[in-house]
Amino acid sequence: MAEREVHDKRMSVAEAVRKFIPDGCRLRSCGIGLRKPMAFVYEIMRQRKRDLTFLQSGMTEDADLLIGAGCVGRVEGSYLGLEAFGLAHCYRRSIEKGVPRRIEIEEYSNFGMTMRFMATAMGLPFMPIRSQLGSDLLRVESFLHPKAAVLEDPFGSGAKVALLPACPVDVALLHAQRCDEDGNAQLWGQLGDDVWGSMAGKRIVVSVEEVVPTKVVRRDPNRTVVPGFRVDAIVPAPFGAHPYQVQGYYDADAAFRKDYAERSATLEGWTAWADEWVYGPEDHAAYLAKVGEARLGGLRAKRILSGRVNYGY
Amino acid sequence: MAIDAVAATASREYRLSELMAICAAREIRDGEIAFIGTGLPMLGGMLAKHTHAPNCVMVFESGVVDARPTRTPLSIGDACLVPGSVMLGGLTEVFGVLLQPGHVDVGFLGAAQIDRFGNLNTTVIGDYGTPKVRLPGSGGGNDIGSLAKRIVVMLKQDARKFVERVDYVTTPGYLDGPGGRERVGLPRGGPSAVITDLGVYRFDDATKEMFLESCHPGVTPDDVRRSVSWDLRTAPNVRTTKPPPKRELRVLRTKCDPQGIFLGG
Repeated sequence: MAEREVHDKRMSVAEAVRKFIPDGCRLRSCGIGLRKPMAFVYEIMRQRKRDLTFLQSGMTEDADLLIGAGCVGRVEGSYLGLEAFGLAHCYRRSIEKGVPRRIEIEEYSNFGMTMRFMATAMGLPFMPIRSQLGSDLLRVESFLHPKAAVLEDPFGSGAKVALLPACPVDVALLHAQRCDEDGNAQLWGQLGDDVWGSMAGKRIVVSVEEVVPTKVVRRDPNRTVVPGFRVDAIVPAPFGAHPYQVQGYYDADAAFRKDYAERSATLEGWTAWADEWVYGPEDHAAYLAKVGEARLGGLRAKRILSGRVNYGY
Repeated sequence: MAIDAVAATASREYRLSELMAICAAREIRDGEIAFIGTGLPMLGGMLAKHTHAPNCVMVFESGVVDARPTRTPLSIGDACLVPGSVMLGGLTEVFGVLLQPGHVDVGFLGAAQIDRFGNLNTTVIGDYGTPKVRLPGSGGGNDIGSLAKRIVVMLKQDARKFVERVDYVTTPGYLDGPGGRERVGLPRGGPSAVITDLGVYRFDDATKEMFLESCHPGVTPDDVRRSVSWDLRTAPNVRTTKPPPKRELRVLRTKCDPQGIFLGG
């Protein structure tokens, strides 16, 4: 077998952001309610990226922070809020008051966004769905013209479908539990829209809790969602989703999220929060040091191990 | 405010949030597939499973099928929903393969505004381009309301929320009335009940209009009408909502939300 050329794709969060996230790109986040790529989000703010188009179905602090920092010009998505912690205040200030700038948003449903990512991942121009019909999600357009079309089944069933355009992604961020040196990325727990959303990326940048030997991946290939040859960068980032959960690694830091929700309610409060937690710490390691080992230790997941399966034949 | 008045006159043996969760549980029949959101609907689903509907299957939109959480989940993506579930996928599996072809019996939704035909708004209050309040948007709400066989809506009630016409149709109810869903091509479904802190509502089969079915204990139909901004129809004999039996209250407090996260302190 010919010797494969070895590219070391490992890099720091800062390097990956510098190298793969130019101003103005179409950037996808990941995770629905957990496994958010927060180490990347903080670093994008530190590097003061501009005019990003942010793409994701369920958006929370990831989008709110980037909007508050003025990094985002447009959003295509379906939900932007802080879940149990209330409304997203930077988003509200942007849409209601134009502070720090007025972003534009094109809205679909969660399923709609997932199918748009699926279309891109599969190289298709659009996908049909049976929700969104009759709603203002189809009627009210912002910057995509047309944002959707309604088609009656050309094969005669009489069924109507909404056609949604593919959602091109320049850079897909994925925070995964683990990958190997090639970037074969493994996820477990709820997958949200991450399988299709990640594979939609022209470039895929993966942060992980652990880089593991390739034999660990090859022993359990059903868990791989992105093959290494599609991955452009591997970023080791333990606690890279804090304050969100990562199944098998740590629980949510609910007190941290509540503090963000409360302090971000005013512009001054948000600015102080961002100075303290994002612009103050120079990198991910400094951020984790500031959170503190005691607090992080308290979040570590208990062991609930899966059974093993026989891959034999 | 009406809500405080109700709290003052209602029995101190239970909270209105507890009564709402119990009303939600009553909407789930044994063996049904239920699409569950966080908060009170989740407590309702957990309660139903512990009481009259042990074979109901709770599906969560981030990909979990038949969750059996041992603590109160804080979000639809909470990792505590995973251990003990029967299947994990993503949005494609639960929306695309379970919901879209019609395998989900009942879905639960909240709203910032609802109108007489059960259309829901979770997007903006005011004009879309220059809103008074920018809300989170659809999330999976539109998908669930479009494609489940029926939906149950839960919200706290006042006249600004119960409006003649919602500012933005995030999730279609019966749209403009009879035949509305069929005309736009929705394959099935529509709201079957609305549960608030004042009462329970149903929809007339012929007119598709919401009507008051029962008032919670201590609430009168006049209290309710003051909290609705259109001329609300009522059932010929408006009942009083059955107060929570002791067993259901106990299960709710000890097994579903022991810390009072959604039921309140």
